[in-house]
Amino acid sequence: MEYIDYYKVLGIPKTASEGDIKEAYRKLVRKYHPDLNPNDKDAERKFKEVNEANEVLSDPEKRKKYDKHGKDWQHADEIEKAQKQQRQSQSRRNPGNQNNSSEFSGDFSDFFESMFGGDMGSSRSRQSKFKGQDLNAELQLNLEDVYESQKQTLTVNGKNIRLTIPAGVENGQTIRIAGHGNPGANGGPNGDLYLTFSILEHPKFKRDGSNLYATVDVDLYTALLGGEILVDTFDGQVKLKVTPETQSGSKAKLKGKGFPVYKQEKTFGDLYLTYQVQLPKNLTAQEKALFMELAKLRKNGN
Amino acid sequence: METKNLIPIEQFCSFYKIETTFIDSLESFGLVEIIVVDNNPYFSEEQLAAVERMRRLHYELAINLEGVDAINFLLQRIEHLNQELMSVKNRLGLFE
Repeated sequence: MEYIDYYKVLGIPKTASEGDIKEAYRKLVRKYHPDLNPNDKDAERKFKEVNEANEVLSDPEKRKKYDKHGKDWQHADEIEKAQKQQRQSQSRRNPGNQNNSSEFSGDFSDFFESMFGGDMGSSRSRQSKFKGQDLNAELQLNLEDVYESQKQTLTVNGKNIRLTIPAGVENGQTIRIAGHGNPGANGGPNGDLYLTFSILEHPKFKRDGSNLYATVDVDLYTALLGGEILVDTFDGQVKLKVTPETQSGSKAKLKGKGFPVYKQEKTFGDLYLTYQVQLPKNLTAQEKALFMELAKLRKNGN
Repeated sequence: METKNLIPIEQFCSFYKIETTFIDSLESFGLVEIIVVDNNPYFSEEQLAAVERMRRLHYELAINLEGVDAINFLLQRIEHLNQELMSVKNRLGLFE
C-alpha cells in the first residue's frame, strides 16, 4: 500500500486554507475531468486522485486524521483501531452495503480505504445517476475472427453478454451496445456498453479497410516464362496465372478476395498481391554457365 | 406520438435538482433538440448522455454555457480526429 501525499496531489502546502483547497481542486478537476479527456486513462487516474485528495482535505475531520496519521501510516496499530471502529459504525449505518457511487468516483486507493474505509462520504452521494453508468471494454481479436460474423459471449462486470460481432469490423472501431452498462437509477435507462475492437496484425495479410495486401513469392522461371502458382487467400488457396516477364514488385489484383465490407452482406474488398521474384541459390556449374551465356546474349543483343 | 424513448425534461431536471431553464438554454445554443408531445417537453434517449455530460460541465465544473458549447464542439473535433488517426494508423500498418 503506497502512501499518498494528498497535498502534493492538489499541489498545495500543508498550511493551505479551505479556500486554497477548493481552488486547487476546482482547477485540477477541470483539467482531468473525464468529460474533457475522453478515453484518457492517465487523466482518469489523476481525476480519481484529485477527488480522493479533495474528499479528505476538504473535510476538516478527515483532514485532521490524515494529518495525524497519514505521513506515518506505517504505525498501523492506531490506524487499524480507527478503521475497525469506522467499519463497525458503517455497517450500522448501511447494513445493505449499498454503494451510492457517482459516475466518475471509481475506486479509492487502498491507502484511502485503510484510513477511511470504502464509503465515499455524503458529498458524493449527491451525484447519483439518472442513467446507468456507461461501461467501456476492449476486445482483442485476430483478423480471422472478424472475417465472418460470429456470436460471442463476453463477460463484462460479471454479466454475460451475448452479441454478434459483425464481419469486417475495423481495428480501433467502437460499437455501442445499448442497455448493457450499469443499471439506471429511479427508473432511468441502463447505461451503454462501448466495446472497442483491437484487431491483431496478421502475419501474412495487411488490411486497409476491406482490401487485403500480401506478397507472393514467384520463382525466376515462372516470372520469366509465365505459368500458374497457388496463392493463399482468406478463404483458401486459388490458382493465379502469372504472365511472362513478371517483374519483382509488380502487383496483381484478385477481385472480391479481400475482406468483407462492414455491414454489407456478401460484399468483399480486393486482394492485392505483390510479386517477389525469388532468385535461385547455390547454382551448379552448368546453371552458372547457362546464365553466363544468357548474360552474353543480353550484352551482345538487347 | 410514442414517448417510450423520450426523456421527460421535467423529470430529468427534478432528478438532478436543476432548473428546466437549463435545458431551454441548451436548446437556444443548439445543443439539444426538444420534442414536445401533448404539451410536454422531452428530449430523445440518444441525447441523454450528451445532456448529462453538459449538465456535469455546467454544474460540477462551473463552466458557463458558452464554454459548454465550445467544449462540445472541440470534443466532436477530437472524436473526428481520433477516428482519422485510427484510420491512418491502420493504413500505416501496410508499410511496416
